[in-house]
Amino acid sequence: MREKIAHPDEIRRWEGEFPVRHRYTPGVAGEAFFTALRERGVLLGSRCANCDYTYVPARLFCERCFSELAADTEVGPDGELVSFTILFEGIEGEPLDLPEAIGAVRLDGADAVLIHRVPDLPDEPLEIGQRVEVVIKPESERTGSILDIEGFRVAD
Amino acid sequence: MARRVAVVGAGMTRFVRRAQETGKELAWHASREALASCELTLDAVDAVCLTSAPDAFDGVHMKGEYLSDGAGAFGKPFMRTYVGGGSGVFTAIQAYYTVASGMADVVLAVAEEKMSSTQPHPQGAFLTIFDNVLERPLGPNLLWIFALEMNRYMTIHGIDKRDIAAVAVKNKQNAADHPAALLGQADITVEDVLASETLAWPVQRLDVSPISDGAVALVVASEDAAKRITSDPVWIQGVGWNLDTAYWTNRDLVFPEYVANAARMAYDMAGVTEPRKQIHVAEPYDPFDYKELHHLEGLLLFDKGKAPEAARDGVLDRKGDLPSCPSGGLLGVGNPIAAAGLMKIAELFWQLRGEAGTRQVPGTPERGVAQAWGDLMQVGTVVVMGREGGAPTTATKLETPPISTPATSLSDAEFRSATGAVDDEVGARYAWDAGVAIGGFLDGLRDGKLFGRECRNCERVLVPPRMFCERCFRGTDAWVQVEDTGIVQTFSVCHVSWDMRPLDEPELPAVISIDGSDGGFLHTLGEVAPDDVSIGMAVEAVWKPVGDRTGSILDIAYFRPSGGSGGSGSERASASASPPEEGGD
Repeated sequence: MREKIAHPDEIRRWEGEFPVRHRYTPGVAGEAFFTALRERGVLLGSRCANCDYTYVPARLFCERCFSELAADTEVGPDGELVSFTILFEGIEGEPLDLPEAIGAVRLDGADAVLIHRVPDLPDEPLEIGQRVEVVIKPESERTGSILDIEGFRVAD
Repeated sequence: MARRVAVVGAGMTRFVRRAQETGKELAWHASREALASCELTLDAVDAVCLTSAPDAFDGVHMKGEYLSDGAGAFGKPFMRTYVGGGSGVFTAIQAYYTVASGMADVVLAVAEEKMSSTQPHPQGAFLTIFDNVLERPLGPNLLWIFALEMNRYMTIHGIDKRDIAAVAVKNKQNAADHPAALLGQADITVEDVLASETLAWPVQRLDVSPISDGAVALVVASEDAAKRITSDPVWIQGVGWNLDTAYWTNRDLVFPEYVANAARMAYDMAGVTEPRKQIHVAEPYDPFDYKELHHLEGLLLFDKGKAPEAARDGVLDRKGDLPSCPSGGLLGVGNPIAAAGLMKIAELFWQLRGEAGTRQVPGTPERGVAQAWGDLMQVGTVVVMGREGGAPTTATKLETPPISTPATSLSDAEFRSATGAVDDEVGARYAWDAGVAIGGFLDGLRDGKLFGRECRNCERVLVPPRMFCERCFRGTDAWVQVEDTGIVQTFSVCHVSWDMRPLDEPELPAVISIDGSDGGFLHTLGEVAPDDVSIGMAVEAVWKPVGDRTGSILDIAYFRPSGGSGGSGSERASASASPPEEGGD
């Protein structure tokens, strides 16, 4: 075996990249979800009556029983904070000026949990189980994206 | 003793250019239809076997996990297997051994591919199959491999391109009867194929299967379960898979030995001793028209070089002596890679049950073979299926396939404007270490010398070099300097870039066997007109000037016909040599 590399810049390295890009279309259920979000500012889920389970975002099928589902159930805007984390580093490991919070929220009327930011942290620490509400951007700023949701904020 | 295993249900989506459905949604459509075809629900499924070809197509890393819910894997034992283009047939093998071993009684086998996500062109996703140090700097595209293989196959056997084009015609005509097909065309002719745009000579546009989105699923069951589920199971009688060398330029490009090895394994298991008599219908892998012929020979169904005559003479037609790709194959139904492979198993299921409707081959076929090919183009996967008593003559019970026709094709404008669509790139960059063997090789290139490694056990000199012999599985013994001259084994005249944009000037990729070595070597040709290149031509390296060399495969500018005058700025290597230092143990 070769010795441990002491001068990595002297090692013959071949640099390369993977130059492909992707365009992801959201599918049948995804289009219904994003259209409702953009046009009406609401979150649509899909309820499986067979399994008594409501998915959010909407889905075309129930993964439990394989039934076909529709984007038929409006969920939220209020919900319960199931878990959260506070980020102090960015994606490349760089320190953040201000910590950012990510919340996992079970919106009222849903069984599945939605992940999004908690952009404006309150003075009091977040607590699992506390009530939160989803904040949707104004209609003029919505494009049909998961970022049409500003995030969650602690309910008044 | 392995348990007997049968296919009892099958379903597929339409194969389309750009599906509105997500990959999960496609997988669900196919899976649900397969279950419905044998009147089962998801709770009857004990385990799920999934496959999908490279993650780069869907653009989803860990695509198996991503697709799992659409394949019905929630709360069940689940595994994605992967052997590149061979994956679709392999997932039937995976389902086979999952059931044969007694681990499960009823298995859902699912194959999905959504290639339309890849931008600017799905061909780009193949870039990384080439060796990152020795081949990618040459700017290869996937067509190079096919064109180089096709040229050598045609030249060595003296095959007329018309006989190869007959395969594309047959399959697109067959696909006209397939309700899930993307490119069925009843009135296509050999002249249409020969008149289509040349991509990488001898590969023309209509020699190639279309990129597609789609999914296919099978229900596979143990003997007891199968007999409960259906009165008409189709047995998986034999399975086989096999790998050739990972160095594609070292392979026999004329005959796919890996397919023959896989076929022998499957035939032995199935008790097939005379495949030409005992196989009644074939679904060989046909991403390119010549590949179907190549594979029919690999499946031992024709002598080497004789399958093209069979295509010309109608032997492979649906009503011929050996119907081949009665589905329409990848060339006609479409090529969502993994799904296309499993589609071949589904077609045998329908054909052997006599349920293929207008695609039904005549008579009472008792046994069929399906095959796919892939990985780094060196895997063969083979499944032999049979129905006791042969297909019933009073067939055509179902409008197969599919019963319903989900998978909605988006127009270009719809694709571009879909609400909620996201554009993204992986953005990952890499730095590859050359390693010991290739590192020594690159050192040699900088000095204007070509080095191989010698294996004294099998008496081969390996170029490109490796520190171990993959055949003997022992360390290679010594560095050997070889000449910078060689013989063109095969070549292509390529008119498109890696992402399928037209090139101003064609490129001349070639596999060159270096004098004094046992391997082939990928590089490009220069100082020669495309029409003057021939297989068997002697060539020599044209080196970059010493000061421009960096220890790269590009230190060789190109190869030119031997005896050519030194071009400006190029120079021949000095004859004296000292091998690179041993890597140390």
